[in-house]
Amino acid sequence: MLSKLALAFTILFLLFMVIPNLHAQEKYTVSGSVTSKRTGESLIGASVRVVDRNIGAISNEYGFFSITLSRGSYTIEITAVGLGKKTIEVELDKNIKLNVQLEEVDASLEEVTVIASKGRSLTSTQMGMEKLTIAETKNIPVLFGERDILKTIQLLPGIKSAGEGNSGFYVRGGAADQNLILLDEAPVYNASHLLGFFSTFNSDAIKDITVYKGGMPAQYAGRLSSVLDIKMNDGNNQDFNVSGGLGLISAKLNVEGPIQKDKSSFLISGRRTYVDAFLKLSNDTAAKNSRLYFYDLNAKVNYKLGDKDRLYLSGYFGRDKLGYDNQFGIDWGNGTGTLRWNHIFNSKLFSNTSLIFSNYDYEVSVRSDAIDFNIFSQIKDYNIKQEFQWFLNNRNSIRFGINSIYHTIRPGEVSSSENSSFGSLLLQRRYSWENGIYITNNWKATDRFNLTYGLRLTSFSILGNGDFYTLDDKGNAIDTTSYGKGTFVKTYVNPEPRIAASYQLNNSSSLKLSYVRNVQNLHLISNSTTSSPSDKWVASSNIIKPELSDQVSIGYYKNLFDNKYELTVETYYKDLQNQIDYRDGADVFTNDAIETQLLFGKGRAYGLEWLLKKTSGKFTGWLSYTLSKTERKINGINNNEWYNARQDRTHDVAIVASYALNKKWTFSANWIYYTGDAVTFPSGKYRVDEQVVYYYTERNGYRYPSYHRLDLGATLQLKKKKKFSSELVFSIFNAYGRENTYTIAFQDSETDPNKTEAVQTALFKFVPSVSYNFKF
Amino acid sequence: MQNCIYALLALTVFTMSSCEKVIDINLNNASKKYVIEGMLSDQSGSCKVLITTTRNFDEDNSFVGISGAQVTIADGTGPELSLVESSNGIYENKSITGIVGHTYNLKVIINGEQFTASSTIPEKVLFDTLFVNDEVIFGELIKLVNLRYPDPVGRGNSYRFIQYINGEKDKTIFIRNDDLNDGRIIETVLFSLNDDDDEEESKISKGDEVRIEMLCVDAAVYKYWFSLDQSALGTNESASPANPVTNITGGALGYFSAHTYQTDSLISP
Repeated sequence: MLSKLALAFTILFLLFMVIPNLHAQEKYTVSGSVTSKRTGESLIGASVRVVDRNIGAISNEYGFFSITLSRGSYTIEITAVGLGKKTIEVELDKNIKLNVQLEEVDASLEEVTVIASKGRSLTSTQMGMEKLTIAETKNIPVLFGERDILKTIQLLPGIKSAGEGNSGFYVRGGAADQNLILLDEAPVYNASHLLGFFSTFNSDAIKDITVYKGGMPAQYAGRLSSVLDIKMNDGNNQDFNVSGGLGLISAKLNVEGPIQKDKSSFLISGRRTYVDAFLKLSNDTAAKNSRLYFYDLNAKVNYKLGDKDRLYLSGYFGRDKLGYDNQFGIDWGNGTGTLRWNHIFNSKLFSNTSLIFSNYDYEVSVRSDAIDFNIFSQIKDYNIKQEFQWFLNNRNSIRFGINSIYHTIRPGEVSSSENSSFGSLLLQRRYSWENGIYITNNWKATDRFNLTYGLRLTSFSILGNGDFYTLDDKGNAIDTTSYGKGTFVKTYVNPEPRIAASYQLNNSSSLKLSYVRNVQNLHLISNSTTSSPSDKWVASSNIIKPELSDQVSIGYYKNLFDNKYELTVETYYKDLQNQIDYRDGADVFTNDAIETQLLFGKGRAYGLEWLLKKTSGKFTGWLSYTLSKTERKINGINNNEWYNARQDRTHDVAIVASYALNKKWTFSANWIYYTGDAVTFPSGKYRVDEQVVYYYTERNGYRYPSYHRLDLGATLQLKKKKKFSSELVFSIFNAYGRENTYTIAFQDSETDPNKTEAVQTALFKFVPSVSYNFKF
Repeated sequence: MQNCIYALLALTVFTMSSCEKVIDINLNNASKKYVIEGMLSDQSGSCKVLITTTRNFDEDNSFVGISGAQVTIADGTGPELSLVESSNGIYENKSITGIVGHTYNLKVIINGEQFTASSTIPEKVLFDTLFVNDEVIFGELIKLVNLRYPDPVGRGNSYRFIQYINGEKDKTIFIRNDDLNDGRIIETVLFSLNDDDDEEESKISKGDEVRIEMLCVDAAVYKYWFSLDQSALGTNESASPANPVTNITGGALGYFSAHTYQTDSLISP
């Protein structure tokens, strides 16, 4: 197996080597970086195009680009979303360095001609990808007026909300834990605050978001369904800036500026909710002593060491604190840190080295006279990455790298005071080591045909110390093997081929095709209708096999009406292996052998996604429609038959519109409709111990009523002074007050105790909000 | 534990905004299933088996007993002793008294269908203290029953408590095991975090007579009540409601519990 893979890698390498420069002319490279003139922020995904030639490049995640051309004179045109265009003449008789600064178009110009979002590239092989800038998400009305990128992406086809007002999401039929959420490359294990109503991402600190629903590039790995790559702002290296906002539930402040102009900068951004301030007004002392808030803190510094080197240090820390008096308390949060070093070896070879730390933990405490204990649980990663981007020639660009992560999971540790009637419990800590090596080439075979092919090899080693179990077919542990510290319990090696092709049909349309395999070795065990901080991460073990997904997708892309509109149609089929669910009556809290509480099976998902987007003009927005199906088959559930996954929703529609009326007012609206979740309802009832209980015959055989709502928003730009600008943002969530199902419970009727009834709980109806944002 | 977290989180949500209403749902009808509730304790005259069937959701709650079943219980490999139908669907044998450490085998034959179950009476643990304490929970003064008992060393002890207030049975399922407190003197508080406000009968007032039953049950019976409480009560926390894990084989719902029994009562201060 291993030697075969080594062979495959060798062949791939050789392939790259033998792709020759067909016509041996003198070649030179123009390379450099694209930044914003006003802020000095490097621009990701800026287009660098050689005019009148079908040659171009896109700036990478650090703003770097490289184009190799024959000797001659060229006009190079650089454009980026939301910014003006720049045209540069170059005389190429040697390698040229080009550091381009794009200017912001003055928004006070009469006609707004700025491209609000980038048109989809027809030639790029990347499919199943959506990119959003914070500017695009700015006007979309949201719950409580809290701008939230995780809620905005749910308006895109193939990405579904995990529920009313929820920042959790499902991509192409996958589960919520199958999304890799990266903040400056660091995995965020629980991206939600307060039951999922808010995400951990403070939009003030975010530069850019990219979601991959399929065809994930080989540098990403670790989750089955999607990659959400979030990049923090670097910090303005030109001027000091303070911006902030006051909303219905939270206040935000963002400070950034140069440490040394042009060379280095910093950014600090914080957000805190203040609902708990109202608790203080309560007469009840217990309520007064209660805690209910969350906060986020983002910080980043970067430093240019010279022309060729740049260092970035970024961090995130956020926490939720909930507590009632001193009786109960739960607090949880993520912390991440990333240290990166960009090095430009030469005009063609770009390197990035990252050291990454990420942590998620929660703590529950219960204090009363006799019941007095603490539960602590944690997942912690140390992660190192080395990546090279090699712009070989204008037909081939190669990316290769390695990645190594050491995971520590502390599933649950109970401690208690001496007088407590609770003892201590230490669930075994679990250690694992995940390694990846990858290489991928983007080959521009002809002017119309592009091919990206690559391979990633992932290994996952479960390390001691610890006890590992052998189960019988009923799931009972029949044997235990103890492993010593640092010993290898088991290693899973999985190749992940990634292939994508695009064929440009004509000037305005193209076809794309991709196949991707993904492997997932960390699994979230959850059985609640809402995201709970105590949902448990477990690693693959001798019994829990790596989850696998194979996805094939085909897409059609067309730019309409002079590139003002873009149409995307994608279809996919996904095969899932080693999917995990609970056994009935599972208790995952106090069990060391968690495998005894789980069942394993397979899944499948398929769908068709439409997106029609208007990207420029006064009126922008999109229309998205998804038709899809997602099912599971797990022995021990639903009589071993296929059943709908909970997130199976047949139809999913989103209309997002924004209209810039004049310099002062921008109006926006979105309307959402989807088929209700697949849920389990009783098919009968019976009596046990003198009370009525319910009888179930099938898993997820029913549906909630369909979901729909309209949100409205308006932004009023207040008087602009020289340096100071501010705005008021109004919104109404669920404007026509639809009572959407949050949950349905079954109970004895309140009016006639001899009958049973179904009771629906709906949350948020007409939630108005206003917030004030400022900048100086 | 989970429940505490959910209650706390749920409270947070509901303070934000929520509205409830009764809705009509067209639920499928399922073919009838037998429901067997078997119980046997170390008290004389406690051996009883109730047999009913499921009903459709939209029918009323008059669960009719099933007559004419053959019901036997055997002490280990001992002779099968018959239970006699004392009233509709209720089968009893007053002469069978459970013995600690013994395993009992239940057999029920209804219209040719056979169902079996076995359950073991575990070591008897007695509570030595019972009192009512005032606690302020979410701004409300609530009277709660506290019990103290010594858990024997060695994991695997499981307990079930039943609370009666002025003779009314509290519907809350109180179960405990010793996963987190093996071998300790355990002080436990019987509190129900029902989100129903209408459950006045489960609230204790001054002067009420409160009676507590403590049953030491085996692991399978604990699992039954645990899973029933988690996933079959029709509440909305579980993403995958399911039938409880029964110890009865043959396809019937319900349970067979052989357990120890202790009861005591007090007048709430």
